[in-house]
Amino acid sequence: MKNRTAKLLVKRIISSIIILFLIITFIFFLVRLSPGDPSQKFISPSLSPNLAEKVRESLNLNEPVHMQYIGFLTSVIQGDLGVSYNFRRDVISVIMDYLPFTLLFTTMSFILQMIISFVLAVKSVKKINGFFDRTLSKLTLFLYAAPVFVTGVFIVFIFSELLNLFPSSGLKSYDFQDYNFLDKILDYLKHLILPIITLSLAEIAIFYRYLRDNLEDVFNKLFVLNLRANGVFERDILFKHVIPNAINPLITIAGIELGIMLGGTLIVEVVFGLPGMGRLTIDSILTRDYPLVIGCSLAAGTLIILANLIADILKASLDRRILEGILR
Amino acid sequence: MGIRCNLSLKSLYLYTIFLYTFISLFVFIKQNNKLMLKLLKNIHNILPVIIKKLYLIILFCSLLFTGGCEKESPNRQNRVIIGISSDISSFNPLFAFSVDEGTISELLYLSLINFTWDEEKGNINPGPMLAKSWEWSEDSSSITFYLRDDVYWSDGKKFNAEDIVFSFDIYSDPDVQSRLYETFSDFYTDEKNHIDIEKTFEVSDSFKVKIKFLPNSTPTLSETVFHLIPKHIFKDIERKNIATSEANFNPVTNGPFILAGWDKTQSIRLKANKNSFLYKPDCIDELIFKIVPDYSSRVTQLKKKEIDLVELIKTEDIKGLQNEEYLKITPQIGREYDYVGWSNIDHELYKSSGKIKPHKLFGSPAVRRALTYAINRKEILDEYLLGYGQLAVGPISAIFKDAVDPDLKYYEYDLGKAKSLLDTEGWKDIDNNGILEKGNLEFKFKLYIPSGNPRRSYAATVIKNNLKQIGIDVAIETIELGVLIDNMYEKNMDSWMIGWYVPIPLNLKFSWYSDLKKNPYNFASYQNKEADQILDEISIETNPGKLNELYKKFQKIIYEDEPVTFLYWVDNIVAYNRKIENIDINPLGAIHHCWEWTVKEQ
Repeated sequence: MKNRTAKLLVKRIISSIIILFLIITFIFFLVRLSPGDPSQKFISPSLSPNLAEKVRESLNLNEPVHMQYIGFLTSVIQGDLGVSYNFRRDVISVIMDYLPFTLLFTTMSFILQMIISFVLAVKSVKKINGFFDRTLSKLTLFLYAAPVFVTGVFIVFIFSELLNLFPSSGLKSYDFQDYNFLDKILDYLKHLILPIITLSLAEIAIFYRYLRDNLEDVFNKLFVLNLRANGVFERDILFKHVIPNAINPLITIAGIELGIMLGGTLIVEVVFGLPGMGRLTIDSILTRDYPLVIGCSLAAGTLIILANLIADILKASLDRRILEGILR
Repeated sequence: MGIRCNLSLKSLYLYTIFLYTFISLFVFIKQNNKLMLKLLKNIHNILPVIIKKLYLIILFCSLLFTGGCEKESPNRQNRVIIGISSDISSFNPLFAFSVDEGTISELLYLSLINFTWDEEKGNINPGPMLAKSWEWSEDSSSITFYLRDDVYWSDGKKFNAEDIVFSFDIYSDPDVQSRLYETFSDFYTDEKNHIDIEKTFEVSDSFKVKIKFLPNSTPTLSETVFHLIPKHIFKDIERKNIATSEANFNPVTNGPFILAGWDKTQSIRLKANKNSFLYKPDCIDELIFKIVPDYSSRVTQLKKKEIDLVELIKTEDIKGLQNEEYLKITPQIGREYDYVGWSNIDHELYKSSGKIKPHKLFGSPAVRRALTYAINRKEILDEYLLGYGQLAVGPISAIFKDAVDPDLKYYEYDLGKAKSLLDTEGWKDIDNNGILEKGNLEFKFKLYIPSGNPRRSYAATVIKNNLKQIGIDVAIETIELGVLIDNMYEKNMDSWMIGWYVPIPLNLKFSWYSDLKKNPYNFASYQNKEADQILDEISIETNPGKLNELYKKFQKIIYEDEPVTFLYWVDNIVAYNRKIENIDINPLGAIHHCWEWTVKEQ
């Protein structure tokens, strides 16, 4: 069995690499074929008109696209994604400036989302159609419907402008380096609390609704009635029988959502001035920083594939029957 | 190019509050009866739960408390915080392509001469900086700089003449691709415009350097002024790799400030350089550039005193900011104008065969003048810019007081004049369909505007409505800025709207000279031999009086030809905390000379 799992895993990894290769190839041609030009920032009344041309030349942009592609592939195989036009640094090192923050921020928010939605859903199904259940389902629908930039700005308005409790943007204070360790943690927390709430609210709503409906479905199944008839404790029914049966679809959704979030949470990053992958990606697209666009897509693609893989493995570990089906 | 969010904060709040109230009301009404009853019935059940969960409430409150107690106010004494929209990519002045990069590298590196703005003359005035004094040779073929001997780089090495020679060498090196690439036209250079060091420089001692120019050239002082870089740091780096070198991020500098910290994408911290000859103990000792990409957030933070100065305030926010007593708002007459570009030549023919023939719609100066008459520019200025700008007559800003021609009056909105001008050009509405014709050709075209710029969208709508009244059909096409610029370069459009700014000192040849191959910035493909001649004369004239006469002559020609419709100059509106004193906002920038700012005790 173990051997078989390993085999399937290798298969999965190979197919992931092929997908990533297709992504970067597709994006490589797409950014070059779409209008616009990376040398645009060298167009200014105070610069020589020939500078843009010179820059194009040195970036090899005057070569035919297929020649550029061959050059690109050769360096990618050597693990080099090129130098970002904007940052004048290695693409990988630029991404490494942004990625750790996104990983930390998204994971923190994701854990919070999972815990809160789980607790709420379990509470809700204890008394289906009860007061708590109905209020929450209305509230989550509303949170789900409200656009993130609206909730974001609203939260800033309440907690930062009116109550003046938290800073409205940024990741740390100016005097950060003078703080001791505990103050540093507190400083981060203070800056991150509003963005995390903003990012989490909508996702909590999604997860809550999924989990709650699944729990309700399972509760209505006959085997639960059978358990009840046999006098099993209500608590044991919920945790030992209902939840394991209801959680599978949630893991799939969570895997997809986590992947998307890891690719960048653009709106939250812009509203709160945070250094995440979303901003980096959009900036690189708008300034036609081709190597960085490809680097960002590659990072986002890898993370989405990874998140889905983890979700699948988790599902399989819960239910051995579907192991082969999903690892295909 | 950062991301610009064009939502007004106020409307967003209103929208949010409205949405929230509406939905909660809806939920409440729908459940009112049952809900209230349930609450009352269950109150004996709910209360103990609340008391039980009190610890949660305490936890929440303590969290709020930690949030509330600021460790230290962000506004320390003698510290000024400036809000900017995007991070910089290099501290090296060689590559200071964006405005913010220019501002910051100017504070870190010094140049030979210090330019200040002369409000009277409307021009720049040279003063000593790294050079104590300088003298031109009698025939203006060379200049000798006498340098200060008390300037040190931040690593302790003394600044000397070698750094100057090296800087000229690097800036002009085509492999480096600096921002001054190909601009050293009055120097001895090789065919690639790389300065010939042997022929150009004469270093007599460490603090005296003579620069010799090409015979028969007309050098000016501003050609020798840029931020010098340390030779001992960059000399061992291969020229091609300087752009990506680590030395750009750990700069060794000699300016009034030194880099104290760079928190990428968050903030740039500069500290006063106490070893600098520009240091004054009572002036600001810390300057922070805080990167806030969202414009609305920048304004919010300005109001919250988290930021002390923000440039490019939008007119719709001025009222809200004026209500805050501690803020001062200063409009600075702009160097940037918006214009509607008309392709002067048949661009398709030019692209296919290289032949130059007037454009079938906009080829005639009379038609272009008629279009300008028909556009109500004052309406855009008053309604959108709330008067924070000036109507544009030509390509020279009003800040250049002596160069701008006061006799030229802007084309006033006059539909009658526009119609009669078009009539004499043969544009008549023969088939009474509301659109002018000339032969088989109807007067209709597409006006391309960049997306994400509400000012230009507003102006385009006004223009469309105005031109409709005289029988011209305009279709507005909004495209992404990058695509628009590409199309301008490729000459793909009949008409477009964009902004342009004038450099200091003036340089008009780039954008108005007829030779389209050598001047790709002549996007409108303007053709006029007389204007070319004046531009040639301007480039060799050094006498300020005669130069201003030439500028005026040039403006008259442009005024008659109206190659593009100049709309308006946009003010740079700067809002700053009144605690900053001794601040001089002029066309060179708001932050220019900020080492002389002081902060009032609060």
